[in-house]
Parts: sequence; structure tokens; C-alpha cells
Amino acid sequence: MSSTEEHNLLEIDNLSVSLRGNRILEDINLRVKKGHIHALTGPNGAGKTTLMRSVMGGMPHKGTIRFLFRESTRIGYVPQFLEFDHSVPITVFDFLFLMLKKMPVFLARRRTVRAEVEELLTATDCAHLIDRSVGQLSGGEFRRVLLAQALSPKPELLLLDEPASNIDEVGIRHFEEMLINLRDEHGITILMVCHSMNMISRVCDAVTAVNRTIFYDGPAKGLNHADLLQQYTFL
Amino acid sequence: MDFIYDIFKNWATRGYLPSIFEHTFMIRGLLAALIIGPLLGAIGTVVVTKKLSFFTQTIGNAAMSGVAIGLLLGEPVDGTYAGLYGFCLIVALLMTFVKNRTRLANDTIIGVVLAQVLGLGIILMIVVTSQFNIHQVEGILFGSLITLNDQDLIALTIASVVVGVLFAFNFNQFMLASFNRTLAKARGLSPVFLEYLFVTLMTIVVVSSLKLIGALLVLVLIVVPAAGAQLVAPNLRWFVWLSVIFSTISTASGLLLSGLLPVPSGAVIALVSSALFYGALVFRPLLSRSGPNQGEI
Repeated sequence: MSSTEEHNLLEIDNLSVSLRGNRILEDINLRVKKGHIHALTGPNGAGKTTLMRSVMGGMPHKGTIRFLFRESTRIGYVPQFLEFDHSVPITVFDFLFLMLKKMPVFLARRRTVRAEVEELLTATDCAHLIDRSVGQLSGGEFRRVLLAQALSPKPELLLLDEPASNIDEVGIRHFEEMLINLRDEHGITILMVCHSMNMISRVCDAVTAVNRTIFYDGPAKGLNHADLLQQYTFL
Repeated sequence: MDFIYDIFKNWATRGYLPSIFEHTFMIRGLLAALIIGPLLGAIGTVVVTKKLSFFTQTIGNAAMSGVAIGLLLGEPVDGTYAGLYGFCLIVALLMTFVKNRTRLANDTIIGVVLAQVLGLGIILMIVVTSQFNIHQVEGILFGSLITLNDQDLIALTIASVVVGVLFAFNFNQFMLASFNRTLAKARGLSPVFLEYLFVTLMTIVVVSSLKLIGALLVLVLIVVPAAGAQLVAPNLRWFVWLSVIFSTISTASGLLLSGLLPVPSGAVIALVSSALFYGALVFRPLLSRSGPNQGEI
């Protein structure tokens, strides 16, 4: 293994995905370095979410996807949008409990688990939401709760699907601070689908632009937005 | 079983219980209600969350064909278990299979299958009524304590224990997969497997409760207590427990009233259950301060 490979956490080689005869992704070669926040960008329908799903193992594909960490380590995932019935009486505590514990939520002694859930919510700065109904949360608040669930058990790699969508500017800045904290303080590598060039330039270390195939792959700093947008148009 | 019946009859004679419990069929009905009621309430919370209410109705309607198939296969008139459980499970699993293999909406699939089971049921009914006593079929349709026998009570108890344990053990996973499939999948669960498992457990409970409640009204007891609980519960824990309490009160008091009045048990259970739902609707501002269902009336 070369010194460059040692620093990679995720390696994708010659990946292609077809759905019902349509080629969605073709010849994708991607390296995500450990400790980086790596953005996947590109126009709508470019195959970004498909690439993310392939990494999660939920998409039949050709080519290889290698994780350079222990197989038992979890990959955390924060979905773009969570469609659910807002009338279900489920609190933030319940929501996290369902994912953390096997004991049925209606039989469990809540006090013993509460501290664990609070600690998790504190990591994403939303411990005060623990007793709020999930259906009453704002987009930004819910995104932070979703991020909290992805942190248990602690992941080596965190996948985020458009974390900036449906959040106001203040919420986005808050979210960005959390991502930087997760990278710097907890050593978590983040791969995220992102359309916001501002967010990419503020928090990301590397960026890969996809439109069926890769048309840019390099550092986020110094990325020329105008060039990238022009390629969006011509591809 | 006689030992248990004697205890209840003794209590009724001494005045601890209403005198109608001097009749064995009422004691049997009460035991069935106390076993199946809480389980229907608990399962109802996932049914409501997964939006499977009319799925339950389809299984109830399939029971009509199930009884007829059992009779035609040579099962005894008072114990058509293979026909009943077998056919209802096939219908339930078929609906789940179609749902997972197509992009059709849930209500579309239910509409298609409901039409099929009703059509088949009507034809089979005409065939069997010329050969067998129709009373058993009526008992399945409307609920009849008189047709509920010791065998039914034993089958219901075994089914309730098995389903209750499996349901409780998998409750968190059922609820998470019902809440959002994508997230459940990302957490390493298999929403498709969980759906098949839940539908199987639900079908067993629904079929077991048919003689007590009736195929036409089983929907009420699995949906209404959970819907009432949903209105006032501040969290999941209360959602389940309130649904269990509402369902148990409905089955037990409905059964008691049906013993005093000349009406089928299922009909009275449905009305008591509905009364509790409207009670929850009216009193919800007092019962819940921070729940999600605090819209204006």
C-alpha cells in the first residue's frame, strides 16, 4: 500500500450503475481521504445520490468500492429528506431510542437511556429538543437530530445527502460549525452531496463534480465556480 | 378449562361479578377479550403508523372465504382453522408481495384484493350454505360468543402469546421501518422483511379475534383505540399504553354490555371503542399539552 493509499478512507474504482437500461453512473474513480470533508456536487439527476447509495451498499453496481477501515465500523448516514407522518406521537427521545436500543420503547426504563440520548444530542447542539415531538421540529432542528442519530455508534465515515437544503442561512452556518467540529474534534470523515458552492468553499477540503461521469475532482480551495457552472451547462 | 369456569361462576353466584357470568360462554368471551384486547391495541399503533387500516379490513373479509375453504376441505364446522388462517395469510402476504414488487399505492392494492376476496367469498358462501350450517359463517362475520368454543380460546391464547412476544421483541424495528424506510435501511434493518413479519403477526391476531369481534368490525378494534391514543399521547410509550388501555376497556365492557343486551359482541365493542375515541378528541386539550395532534376542532 503506498503512502497516498494509506490516507484514503474510501476508494472507488471504475464504478458504473445502470437502472432499467439507463446508464446513471459511468467510470467513476474516487478517493476520499481520512479526516476530510469531501463534497459531491453536480446538476440534478447527475447520479450523486445513486453514488451515495452505492457506497452504502444499497445499489447494484459494477466496479469496486473499498473501505480502508475495519468492516465492523459503521457508516453513518443523514438522509436529505425524511418523509414521515407528522401525527405520530414520537418525540426526539423516542426517535433516537428506536435506533439505539432493542428493548421495546414502551417497556424500557427511560431514565437509564436518557443520559445516553442527551449526550448524543449535545454533540449536535440540540439536547434541548429531547422532549419535543419530531413532527414539530424545524428543518434545521430535524437535520441536527438526524445528524445525532448518525453518530451512534461512532462512524468512521459519515454520509450526508444535501445537508443545506431547506435550512435558512443561520441554520446552515450552525450546521457547518458542527461538521467542522466532527472532523476536527472527533476525526470523522464526511462525504456529502452538496449544491451550495458557498458551503463547499467554507467547509470542504475536496470536491468531486459528477454528471454521469466525473468532470472535476480536486481541492475545494481555489475552485472556480464559474468554470464549474459552465461545465454543468455543457455536460 | 372447567376449573377456570367454575371460579368465575362462583364469583358470579356470590355477587362479585354480574350474574351473566354464570354462563360459560360469557366467561369464555371475557377471557378471550382480556387476552386479545390488549394485543390488538398494541398492534394497532403500528397499523396506524404504517397506514394499514384497510389492509386489516381486507384480511377480515378474506375470512369469509377462509371459513368456506376450510369447510370444503373437510374441516369440522366449528374449527376451520387451516382454511381460515391459511387463506387469510395467503391474502395478506400476497398484498405485501404486490406492494413491494410494484409502485402501486397501498389503497390501490387493497382495493384490488378486497374486490377479489369479496367476489370469491360470495361465490364460496353460496356453495357452502347449501351443504353446511350458515351459523358458523355468521359468527365470523358479526362476532358470536355462542360459537366461540374452548378450542378457539386455546388457539387464541397460543397465538396471542407467540405474537405478543415477537411483536414486543421487534417493536422498535417495526416502528422505525414504519416511520421511515430509508433511515431504517441505513441503520442496517430490512424494511421488507420487517413488513412481511409484521403482516404475518397482524393477520394471526386478526383471525384469532374474528369470532369475538367479527370480520366486518375487526377494523374498529385495531384502528380506533390506536387513533384515540394518537390524539392524546405525548410520546410513543403513552401511545402504546393508551391504545392498550382503550382496546381492553372496549373489548371487556363491550362484551359485558352484549351479555346484557340482545346484540352481537362485535357491534357493542365497536360502539364503546368509538365512544372512547370521541372522548379522547374532546378531552385532548386537558390530556396532552405538547403532543403533535393539537389542531383546532
